[in-house]
Amino acid sequence: MSANHQPISIDGIAYNQLKIEKKPITPEYVRRDPELVPKANRTVVVNPARTCMPFGAMFAGLGMHRGLPFVQGAQGCTTYVRYTFCRIFQEPASIANASFHEDAAVFGGRKNFIEGMRNLIVRYHPDVVTVVTTCSSEIIGDDMVSFIKAARKRLITELGEEDGSRPKLVLVNTPSFAGSHIVGYDRASRAFLETLAQDHSKPNNRINIIPGMVMPGDVREIKHLLREMGVDAYTLFDISDVFDTPLMPPQTLPYYPEGGTRITEVEDMGNSMATFALCQNEGGLGARYLEQKFEIPAFIGPMPMGVRSTDLFLKRVSEVTGKEISKSLKDERGRLLDFMADTLHHTMMKRVAIFGDPDIATGITRFACELGMEPVAVMSGTKTKTFTADIEGIVAESGAKPLILNGSDLFEFEESLKAMPVPVDVIIGNSKGADIAKELQVPLVRAGLFVYDRVGYHKRPVIGYRGGERLLADLVNAIMDFSYPEERTQQL
Amino acid sequence: MTRKIAIYGKGGIGKSTTTQNTAAAMAHFYDKKIMIHGCDPKADSTRLILGGMMQVTVMDTLREEGEEAVTLEKVRLMGFNGIQCVESGGPEPGVGCAGRGVITAINLMEENEAYGSELDFVFFDVLGDVVCGGFAMPVREGKAKEIYIVASGEMMALYAANNICRGMVKYAEQSGVRLGGIICNSRRVDGERELIEEFCAKLGTQMIMFVPRDNIVQKAEFNRKTVTEFAPDCEQASVYKELGRRIIENINFVVPTPMTMDEMEGLVLEYGLLDVGEAS
Repeated sequence: MSANHQPISIDGIAYNQLKIEKKPITPEYVRRDPELVPKANRTVVVNPARTCMPFGAMFAGLGMHRGLPFVQGAQGCTTYVRYTFCRIFQEPASIANASFHEDAAVFGGRKNFIEGMRNLIVRYHPDVVTVVTTCSSEIIGDDMVSFIKAARKRLITELGEEDGSRPKLVLVNTPSFAGSHIVGYDRASRAFLETLAQDHSKPNNRINIIPGMVMPGDVREIKHLLREMGVDAYTLFDISDVFDTPLMPPQTLPYYPEGGTRITEVEDMGNSMATFALCQNEGGLGARYLEQKFEIPAFIGPMPMGVRSTDLFLKRVSEVTGKEISKSLKDERGRLLDFMADTLHHTMMKRVAIFGDPDIATGITRFACELGMEPVAVMSGTKTKTFTADIEGIVAESGAKPLILNGSDLFEFEESLKAMPVPVDVIIGNSKGADIAKELQVPLVRAGLFVYDRVGYHKRPVIGYRGGERLLADLVNAIMDFSYPEERTQQL
Repeated sequence: MTRKIAIYGKGGIGKSTTTQNTAAAMAHFYDKKIMIHGCDPKADSTRLILGGMMQVTVMDTLREEGEEAVTLEKVRLMGFNGIQCVESGGPEPGVGCAGRGVITAINLMEENEAYGSELDFVFFDVLGDVVCGGFAMPVREGKAKEIYIVASGEMMALYAANNICRGMVKYAEQSGVRLGGIICNSRRVDGERELIEEFCAKLGTQMIMFVPRDNIVQKAEFNRKTVTEFAPDCEQASVYKELGRRIIENINFVVPTPMTMDEMEGLVLEYGLLDVGEAS
């Protein structure tokens, strides 16, 4: 640093002057009308724990190598999603948009689509474009199948037969007013396999993995588990090297991350031995499609978290492929068990509240029960057919009787926790629970898709034995931070 | 192979009446398995088949009980001669989005595998004017491959039919939908048959049937029945029987060549206004 270095002047409040007051529940706190707490009694959602369907389809589309989503809707539909991806992953997300304005709403989005698709392909040369619809395009009744044909014709006229037909176009219908981001990903998994998977009747001795909307660290952990067993797999929507990329000069122009699932891989997924959809609500549709169409056995959920579900996943993979579960993985399992035994006095009988997307909430509940914790409230932001029964099945083993909220909002979750005569000890969920945890003065252990107020969570797994160790360490550290004075912790 | 057919035409021209009478004749005389899917928010496309019964519509079920409650047992009724009836339903006039209702209803029916291969024919009876993208849902790719337009010798009915053809041309290119013909539902206008025949020739299609006006149709309607059910031996029943046969055996499917406004007016002057010319 040079000697004449000048400090950069900062207008307004500097960071070191920031004082954030954590507000506990005060005596003046007015309890909400109990009538209005259950979401079923309200027509309004307060503090939602989910986002819209196109979000999930865009997430999926970015998990393709040289893949770009093209959103048939207004610009805001794309801006919010890109912003959210940046907040979670600190990586750019290239998503194209048809830029609907008043005229598209009146005359339909045909012109926007064909022109936009032409510009996108001519300038960016993607391998695959995920066509994502929105509430506006679905409402005005855009006939996307015919638009895609017309766009293809235009491309072939302009670029010639070979270049014009090369980029694949995959349509995912995602009216935002139905379902949630979960359903968008689920539909994308089916759309990609319907459009691309071919039956060559040439067994490839591989398995298919549809990981769901998990973090890059989770996808890497799955690859690690399979590598240890010597199993070859295709990952549909491999976001690991898309949402967590090395900082390097671009290897290609225009820039694309090196990761993502190849088209040839999706095409060959029709020849695999089995499909594992790790999340039943995020990828189950795709797995079931392959089962119906090509008779490829589908194993749908549960998310391989904690001991039992990871055991189940590895056993199934072993049965399907005939490969042994390696010594190294048995060691990993043993280390997790050892860690659980070592920390049992911190986790045992702790009252835990869990929220998030349905599959991870179910997975965490299972793991929490394995740790001897007592789930007192479990919430899924998206309503699913099986969530309530799944949780009931898990807690039945330990005798816990949690409040189960299937497709509710964080207002009901928060108010339910505040109304509990015995307070919870810890909350496990995403960043949307930060304020709730502060008010209740309990720790929030972050896990799930929407962790945007801390860094590095997308790099580390929650899946597998090692993911379990990581989550358990976070959990116990959080409990110790909150439950013990520092000088006491020194003597533990 | 199930043939899916969409019926279009100007509002009030008699689409629902013609569809139901034809479907009843096809089921009764030719033993065809038929479904009628009414795509009009008024949900009055199946009452003659069902004997006036008010059907629970797909949209009502969706609104009251949610998407999961939409099952075939709930929204599909069996009527005269085993004809299956579904009504999309939709919002009250002036609110919401009826076009989206058509899209949602057809999507839900497909999810429930309602248009099964055991059916010979599925009729989509669509709201009079194709006002937005939603009302073209029945002719999107993989859905109806045939369109029949109901018209009469009145000028406005011909304008509407011509307009529908203009919209169709775009879809014909993409989804492969074809015009099977014009059904003339007679209004006893002078020179009607000649006018419609000339109109069809200009469009490059056929007048598949000239359905004469007969009070028996109204009488049957008052009794909440199709003509085939009400008076199977009458003259009008044989007309619908013949129309049914012609649809079953139809091989004349075309992409129409709609007329310009000037051509339309010339045609109407030539035929429709003959009387006026003579009188003045």
